[in-house]
Amino acid sequence: MPSGIAGFDQIAAGGLPRQGVTVVQGRAGVGKTIFGMQVLPSGLLDCSEPGILVAFEESAERILENVSSFIWGSGALLQQGITRLDAQLSQSVEQGGEFDLIGLLAIVTAKAKQTGAKRVVFDGLDVLLGYLTNPAHVRREVFRLREWVHGSGLSAIVTSKTVRAEDQAAADYDFLQFMADCVVTLHHRISQGIALRFLRVAKYRGAAHSSNESPITITSEGIEVAASALSEVAYPASSERVSTGVARLDAMLSGGYYRGSSILITGAPGTAKTSLATAFAEASAARGERTLYLSFDESPAQIVRNVASVGIHLEPFIASGVLSILSRHGRAENPEAHVAHLRALVRASQPLNIVIDPLSALAQRGCEVEAEVAALHVLDLAKSAGITIVCTSLLGTSQPLVEQTELAISTIADTWMHVSYVSQGGERNRAITIVKARGTGHSNQVRELVLASDGITLAGVYAVGGDVLMGTLRWEKENEARRTKAAVESRAALFEQKAEFAPAETDAQLEALARARAIQQAELRQLKAIAAAEVSLHTVEADQLLQLRRADEGPTVPPRPRYESEPTR
Amino acid sequence: MTSSGATDARKGGADARLRVRLYVAGRSPNSLAAIGTLRAVIAEFPAQGIAFKLIDVLQTPERALEADVFITPMLVRVEPPPERRILGNLSDRKTLLGVLGLEEANHG
Repeated sequence: MPSGIAGFDQIAAGGLPRQGVTVVQGRAGVGKTIFGMQVLPSGLLDCSEPGILVAFEESAERILENVSSFIWGSGALLQQGITRLDAQLSQSVEQGGEFDLIGLLAIVTAKAKQTGAKRVVFDGLDVLLGYLTNPAHVRREVFRLREWVHGSGLSAIVTSKTVRAEDQAAADYDFLQFMADCVVTLHHRISQGIALRFLRVAKYRGAAHSSNESPITITSEGIEVAASALSEVAYPASSERVSTGVARLDAMLSGGYYRGSSILITGAPGTAKTSLATAFAEASAARGERTLYLSFDESPAQIVRNVASVGIHLEPFIASGVLSILSRHGRAENPEAHVAHLRALVRASQPLNIVIDPLSALAQRGCEVEAEVAALHVLDLAKSAGITIVCTSLLGTSQPLVEQTELAISTIADTWMHVSYVSQGGERNRAITIVKARGTGHSNQVRELVLASDGITLAGVYAVGGDVLMGTLRWEKENEARRTKAAVESRAALFEQKAEFAPAETDAQLEALARARAIQQAELRQLKAIAAAEVSLHTVEADQLLQLRRADEGPTVPPRPRYESEPTR
Repeated sequence: MTSSGATDARKGGADARLRVRLYVAGRSPNSLAAIGTLRAVIAEFPAQGIAFKLIDVLQTPERALEADVFITPMLVRVEPPPERRILGNLSDRKTLLGVLGLEEANHG
């Protein structure tokens, strides 16, 4: 049977036992009555089941008045759908012997028939049972009540005070627990002036349930159980990237954070955690995505002013309503109350992105475990809704409780970046390290985080002897690099010029050689011509000589004259 | 007990000085004990003219609701005012006589 108590049904087998008895126990002021009263309107609203309130301690009128501040406690609804039976015994009633619940149950039965009620709350049964002097009679009436419930078809919530602490409750009306189908114990403890409330399903007959102690909060929506839905990890996984707000950080993270992932930024005070967180908020708001910024340190005005000095301008987004900055005092309430508050905010404004600055504000001395659980719940809340959440957190301080919280969160955060101061060359500079980034190739190098009036950026990496240089040392290194670069560049220019002119030179040489060759050939042709002319002249001369001598021995051919220059053929 | 349901068991008539109502739940042991004790006391103090009305909430729960009686047995002294109530099976004689304004000394 749905209980109407947020988170309760998750830890208690889907709700309260139908047609069974649920006993709610706890000391005064732990919220037993609220528990019971929350079940009644839920029955009305969610299941159209009218209810009956049997009040033994306070008057029904008072109870309704007390719960009227809850959103489900609105007058009209309760007046119409809930039958009130004021069964408290006034002071004037004197006791003159043993009594029983037979008459009462008969009346309730009659009322249930008349109204069609399915749920009945017996508020403060211990008060009535206190009038029974014989413990055996108390037991008898309690079992009578159970028999009646099982036979009536009604589902009953019985609230009962315990005098002692929850873990010692066994001594008070322990049979109340034996006879119940479901036993819910509530308790609270004060730590450092802050009330921490818990709920435990101590028993649930025949049903699987978590018997862990769960933190609860009482908000305007009533009791809310911080159900540890963490036991089952099934979140949607988006491969979409959202900007970190710092371009170079996006590059380091292969494009930014995954949408719907959780990011933890840790660091000592003043290491620019808030600046990084607001950079994300600004980038998210600039995309038009509803973004919620919850600060535990500074007021909204302070944040806006401070981050404007590093080039992050949030005012326009606040004005347009896309970004909401809310400030709360971390110590004002118990950790789980902050979670409940955040849950209400998320429900109301449905943001796509949440920034919590710092999450470590939840960690208060005396409630380390609760803070850790609350922090996990915050991340769980965001992840199950697909909200990208950036949390900052103090780390590296000498507060062990903060460290402890970090340890828990850092294991479930998807991305964990740590900002620290690095002392080097007489300076302190901010260094950022990506400790882990699930599903993302990321730089493992320590980088310098530079805050300037025009925004946040990461400086280039200058690693020397295993150290990344920062600040002035980096500046010097950068200058040195610039000089080296200039020298290399001019040398390159020289080579380029040389390369450009070399072919021309060679061409010129080739041309000169070709010309020389042409001249040679011309000379050669000339010589050949001369030679040929000389030969023919010689032949003519010989013929003429023969004729002149009238020689009859026939023509004789004189040996040809030889020229040194004539090539042999 | 011979009566069932809302039974008028007037002993002293309309002008009785002492008028009581006893709310019971059927024949449960506590109911029977209360009825027995009250009858015995009425018999014991005939001079008081005690008028008593028996209401069984199993039969007429609305009568109990009208009187804001939820737990039984419950004895309500209607007259004389102010109204006084005794919860239980009336085994506590002292309380019963005290509420009814009867003196032990009157008896015997």
